[in-house]
Amino acid sequence: MLIDTLISLAHIVVPILIVIASIYAIYFKDLIAAAIAVAALSLLLSLEFYILQAPDVAIAEAGVGACLTTAILIISIRATKREEEA
Amino acid sequence: MSGMSRIVKTITNVAFPIVLIYGLYVIAHGHLTPGGGFQGGAVVASGLAMLLVAYGSIWVIGKVKEKQLSILESIGAIGFIGLAFLGILMVFIYSSFQGNFFNNFLINQNEIPLFNEIGAGLANINTAGVIPLMNFAVGLKVIAGLFAIVLVMAYATRIKEGK
Amino acid sequence: MNKRNFAAVIFFAIVGAFLLFTALMMHPFGNFNEENTPEMDEYIIDNTQNETGADNGVTAVVFDYRGFDTLGEATVLFTAVAGVILVFRRLKK
Repeated sequence: MLIDTLISLAHIVVPILIVIASIYAIYFKDLIAAAIAVAALSLLLSLEFYILQAPDVAIAEAGVGACLTTAILIISIRATKREEEA
Repeated sequence: MSGMSRIVKTITNVAFPIVLIYGLYVIAHGHLTPGGGFQGGAVVASGLAMLLVAYGSIWVIGKVKEKQLSILESIGAIGFIGLAFLGILMVFIYSSFQGNFFNNFLINQNEIPLFNEIGAGLANINTAGVIPLMNFAVGLKVIAGLFAIVLVMAYATRIKEGK
Repeated sequence: MNKRNFAAVIFFAIVGAFLLFTALMMHPFGNFNEENTPEMDEYIIDNTQNETGADNGVTAVVFDYRGFDTLGEATVLFTAVAGVILVFRRLKK
């Protein structure tokens, strides 16, 4: 009973956190902070896939989205400028 | 980028074998548990990217060149396509069932005792015909491909920064 | 409102309408009954273990029933790696 309540709560809380993380990814002017926000978005999206009973997609999203995309974005930011031009 | 501090290197030394074992487990048990070639390859490539960030791209490019990674990726692709085409060729050998592209030719036969049993929820690893071999091919391809992308980008921007 | 903002509002309305209809037409989550399940799902759930021998139905679909999709995905990854190495080879020297 408690487990069902917690899962129903997680179905509400995790998408709200995903939307908040994506808004912060647009809001930040520091590009490394925006990349970290995208990584947090991917990790929360992986958790959401796991709650929705799709562990295949959760593993792929956690590997590609949260680790490799962040590494590629930070390597690209290091080669260019760090601040976004207003 | 010539490596990070001693703390990061020590934690990477502890965490890298665990990530590697978990990714290889996901690849090898792709037909029994959630996961498969792409997922396990992405996990192993994440561990290798962690090694690249901790030790720096100069140290890593001394160990493995990107041409070797290209060769590994091509081996994975040729293995995948070759297994798909063997489904057509196997009709001349068994001649009992019809053959087509991506035919699962190792299941429902007794002549080759390799992955030929039918799983019934018992988590027997000797099942599923050609699917584990395709998992290994796609896993090798994904590991080599994703790590080659990160390694080439890191090494190229390292040169540009030092100029 | 200039012309570009007008086009953006039209595009946003069309995409939002598609997403709303998709959300309304989704299956109810978690309860499996025979009426609202497509016939393909029932066939795959019933016959995966007998036809391919794999316990994991998702891998059986990806590598056996829909092998062409995996071939296209492998081609996409190969093209991406070839493009990245082609672009960054000149910067390395």
